[in-house]
Order: sequence, then C-alpha cells, then structure tokens
Amino acid sequence: MIRQDLFELAARNMRNARLRNALTTMGIAVGVASLVAMLSLGIGLQGFANHQLMKSGMFQTVFVSSRQDMRNMEENADAKPEESPALNDDARKQISALPGVEEVAPEVRAMSEVDFGGKSNFTLIAGLPQSAREEDSIEKVKGRFFSSPTADEVLLQRDFAKKLDPNPDAVLGKTLTVRYAQRQSGDTSSSFSIERKEKQFVIVGLLDEEPFGGMRMISRARVFIPTQTAEAMNLMQPADTQQLVRSSPGARTYSMLTVRMKSAAYAEKVEESVKQMHFSAYSYLDATKSMRRFFAVLDMFLGIFGSLALAVASLAIVNTLIMAVLERRREIGIMKALGASDADVKKLFFAEAATMGLIGGALGVTLGWLIGRAINFGTNIYLHKMKMPAENLWTVPPLLVVGAIVFAVLVSVLAGIYPAARAAKLDPVQALRYE
Amino acid sequence: MSEQTGAVAIEARAASRFYTMGEATVRAVEDVSFHINRGEFAALLGPSGSGKSTLLNLLAGLDRLTAGSIVVAGRDLSTMDSEALARYRRLTVGMIFQSFNLVPTMTLADNIELPLRFAETARAGRRDRVMELLTNVGLSHRAGHKPTELSGGEQQRAAIARALANNPSVLLADEPTGNLDSRNGQEVMTLLRDLNQKMGVTVLMVTHDPSLAERYARKSLHMADGRLVSTVEAAQ
Ligand SMILES: Nc1ncnc2c1ncn2[C@@H]1O[C@H](COP(=O)(O)OP(=O)(O)O)[C@@H](O)[C@H]1O
Ligand SMILES: [Mg+2]
Repeated sequence: MIRQDLFELAARNMRNARLRNALTTMGIAVGVASLVAMLSLGIGLQGFANHQLMKSGMFQTVFVSSRQDMRNMEENADAKPEESPALNDDARKQISALPGVEEVAPEVRAMSEVDFGGKSNFTLIAGLPQSAREEDSIEKVKGRFFSSPTADEVLLQRDFAKKLDPNPDAVLGKTLTVRYAQRQSGDTSSSFSIERKEKQFVIVGLLDEEPFGGMRMISRARVFIPTQTAEAMNLMQPADTQQLVRSSPGARTYSMLTVRMKSAAYAEKVEESVKQMHFSAYSYLDATKSMRRFFAVLDMFLGIFGSLALAVASLAIVNTLIMAVLERRREIGIMKALGASDADVKKLFFAEAATMGLIGGALGVTLGWLIGRAINFGTNIYLHKMKMPAENLWTVPPLLVVGAIVFAVLVSVLAGIYPAARAAKLDPVQALRYE
Repeated sequence: MSEQTGAVAIEARAASRFYTMGEATVRAVEDVSFHINRGEFAALLGPSGSGKSTLLNLLAGLDRLTAGSIVVAGRDLSTMDSEALARYRRLTVGMIFQSFNLVPTMTLADNIELPLRFAETARAGRRDRVMELLTNVGLSHRAGHKPTELSGGEQQRAAIARALANNPSVLLADEPTGNLDSRNGQEVMTLLRDLNQKMGVTVLMVTHDPSLAERYARKSLHMADGRLVSTVEAAQ
C-alpha cells in the first residue's frame, strides 16, 4: 500500500474511535510535556550556571608564574625550575601575542597609606586590569569603572569606604592621597633604592564584592587602581627583595601574570602554549569539566524522570491498539480477503501509532513549553519580590522540540509492534467466521 | 489432460484441510479433486458442515491446505508464500459472502476503493473506477451511503462490485443469497449470471439450495462430510 493510502486509512480508523484515540494521544502529550519540561529545566539551569560562572571571569583567566619561584615547593618536584625562563617583559609580550589573549596584566599589590579627609588608613592597594570591567562584580559597581587604563582613579571596597565616611556614597568624586614605597633603579645592577611617594586619586566607584583575581583571594585588597597606573608607579613589591638576592637580578621580572582571554574557549590552548614556554600555568578549567559532568548526570536523571510519564503513555498506546485489533477483527479479515498482505495490516497499525505519536508529541511540546513559561513567570515574580533580577531558568532549544516529537513517534511505533504483529497474524478465516 | 489445462480455471488435486482440536482431528475437507473450466458457472452443494466454506477459503487463498494441491489460473497455491497469496487474492480472485462483509464504518465508495488501495492503483483514476463499478451494479446513487443504510440486496451488489474492482478472473461466492429474500436473491443471481456470461468471469457459488444450482450452474459439485460425493454436469 502506498503511504498516502496508509495514512488516509489510519486517520479514518482513528476518527472512528475518536474519544479513545484522543485520550491516548493526550496521554502521550502529557508524557512528552513532562519530558520536555524536565529537560528544559536541566538545560536552562545549565545555561544559567554557565552564564553566572562566565561572568565571574573565572574561566577566561589563566595564571602564569615562573617555575624559578617554585624551587622550594615540594609538590612541584617535577617542575624542573632550572629549565624555566624568567617571567619578564619579553615573556609578557610573547604571551600577549597568543591567539585569543585579550590582556596580560601583572599582579601589582602593595601596602600603602591612604589619606582622606585628614585621617589615614594603612591598607593593601592592588592593580585592576581593564578586562575586569566585564566581570559581574564590576558590573554591579556603584559609580563607574576607570575612565581609561592609565587614569588616576580608584575603586574602593564599600567596607573600606565606610571607614572614610559613614555615608560611603558621599566619597564618590572626592580625592584621596596614596602614600607608597617606590622602587627606583640603583647605581649597580645588584641594588635598588626605595623612596616614599604620594599620588592623588579620584574615587570613582564602590565595590560590593571582591573582583576575581589570583592572589587577591588570599590577601584582600581594599583599594583598586588601574594596573597600568600601578605599573607606572613602580610600587615596591615583596618579590623585589627575592629578585635582588637571586644570582642574576638584571631586568624586571613578574612573580605572576594574569592572562585574560576573549572567551573561555581559548583557555585550554593558551594554558597549553604557556606550559610549552616552560612557565607554570593554572586555570579553573578543570572545575568546569566536573561541572559539565554534573549537568550531564542531572540532565540524564531529569530525562529519566520525564520519560516515566511517556513510558506510561506508551502502555496506553499498546492498550488502545490491542483494543482496536480486537474490535476490528472482522475488518482485518475483510481487508485480508480483499488482498491486504500481512505487511499492509502491520503498516496500518504502525501508521496509527505513529500518528498518535506525532500529534501527541506536537501537543506535548506545546504543553511543555507552556509549563516552562508558567514556571519561569512564577520564578521571576518570586525573584522580583526578593529584589533580584529576572532569570531565564527555562530554555527549550529547537533541537529539543524536534527531538521530543521524533522520540514520541519512535516510542509510539515501538508500542505498536506487538498490536501490529497481532493484527498481521490474525487468521482471516477465523476473523470472517466470527460473529 | 494437457490440452485441457489452458481451459481450466480451477483445479483441486486430492485437496485436504484438517483441523486439530486437542486430540481430535476434524477432517473439514478430505481428498477432494475436481476442475472447473474457464468461464464456467459452477455450484458447490452440500448440507451444513459438509466443508463447502472451508473448500472455498482454500480456493480463495485465505486458508492453507493440509495436503494436496490447488491450481487457479495456472498458479499452484500450495507453493505460494503469504505475500504471494495476498497478491493472488488481490488480483486473481474476488470473494463474496453470505453476510456481505462490507466494512460498516465506510461508505460504499470507500468499501469499493479498498481493494484498489491494496493493489496500489494510481489515485488519479480511482474515484472514476469506483463510480464505474457502482454503476455496473446499479448503485451509483448510493456511493456516499453506509452499508447499514441499504437493503440486503443492495449490500450484496456492492460487495460484488468490490470483489470485481481489480478485474479478477474467478469469483468465489459463499451462499450469496443466504441472507436475502427471494426478490433480492433473484437480483443478485441475475447479476452473477450477467458477469459470467458477458464478462467471462468464472463463478463458483456455494449454496445449499439445489434449485438455484439447477437454474444457474452448468456444473454442480456435491459435498458430504468433507468429501466430494458427486459431480453433475448439465447437458449443453
Ligand atoms: N477452525 C476450525 N477448527 C475446527 N473445526 C473447524 C474449523 N473450521 C471449520 N471446522 C469444521 O469443519 C467442518 C466444515 O465446516 P464448513 O466448511 O464451515 O462447512 P459448511 O460451509 O459446509 O457449512 C465443520 O464440521 C466445522 O465445524
Ligand atoms: Mg459455510
């Protein structure tokens, strides 16, 4: 039988038992809806988590240090520090030239005295690279980010600002003075001198959260200035003394460089290249790997739960089609007497199963999408009440729509195997005798 | 014998069909041999339970022989697989029944279209063919009716139209007038005779009414207890 006839007959048969087929189709729809709802939630949560983590800047960053500094660290016994070159300006340029690298910034931090309104505070000041402006914590800054990479501007930790003024917002736009130790080249290559300097900065923003960065996790800075400004200031840093006692002091070296990529996708390659340059490199990429694994497992569990309803629906299909076979015994006998082959009869029942699967699948995807919208809406009302920004926890990608419908048809056809075989096997003589 | 083969439409050779029911064996058809010539109108007679329907189902390719062979239109049914038998039922034989066996949920036109669908006839000319078949049995005005809206005679005529859809060379009828009053029965018999005489369709009709056989059939096969007991050929 040609396909068009097959589906015409199938449609006719389904119309003749309209209520029963409609109910079974609704069962499939509910099953598909639950599957789509569960998987959309999984995909949505994953997207949400990815988005949050990417915004933190964590996965776009690789930390580079020279292995020379690790000579005494037991856990790096295999690092062969003697092979590692110095992390100097040449190395910095080389790393900057790697594909995908947006910015390479040194870790600059130093203890300094901050004068404001006649009072002074001793605190840690740190350089903040230009690329940090995309970070979530910086996006939420009160005020604004640095106007240029070389501006004489500061961002303050809100708690620190409170020390300066009980109303921290009032310090915005005002000027403070930083007193710091400046390193100056000495008369010979084996010496340098230190001099006290002062510099004025305009307070442009307040930070609620710590921006992400390497050592800042351990020793929290309170005052942030643009990294390039900090470099130009030649701040005396703890590593400077370490460098001095080394056998070949010479040119300036960095204890650590923070490499910022255009996207997390470059992190792995850059880390690889840096290691080939015999530097030590570290990124949080391994953490994403386990996160991705976690979401794969979560999606699987949500998928299994979602499929349960579809499994129940598939039993309803089996039931409906067996009923149809029993009810249409005589009709099947007539069709065989008129020349329908066993395969024709089988195909007819498969066509009915597939039709229910297709309609049920399409309805189910629509239903699942509506459920998703409703839950999203509910969540956002809650988030709004909690004064949090709206989030899209629910994503139905086109592939899931197509996949769910194909899956529903597949499950329905599988459910049709037994009834179809039973119909095909029916003895026409018995079926026609039966009355 | 050999010069006869071309003229033979149906031939049974020691055909048997036994049913096993637990320990017991029901010999529904046993060692039946006969032949019917092309274009002949034959009747199969015998009391109820004598095996007439079983034999007809064997000839129709709906049932399978336990032993022996049946050759229809030169083709040996006993060697065919189920796909080939379905093809045979589709194209070579037409069947009508005492209880009409129209699909009750389909209109007459849809019923008659069924064998055309199974034969994969091109969809374009199909409706015209259906109307032609209905016109031939005088039912063109009933095309859109369901079987239950028609008289028994009309239903049987529709069933005949359906049986002829794919131009079979043999028509097998199992007590076609059994459920009809004499006037409707008369109409159906006239139609069968016309088909036989004008279109040359070979007809084998089961009946337990000897007078019907006498009036219409040239050859009468008599069965009893599954066996063929006599064959009577009317004088030319
Ligand atoms: N499937 C079956 N199983 C067992 N016995 C059967 C079966 N079909 C027919 N019979 C028996 O075979 C015999 C012939 O039946 P049938 O061909 O229907 O007779 P008729 O058509 O002449 O009335 C009967 O005794 C009937 O009970
Ligand atoms: Mg009978």
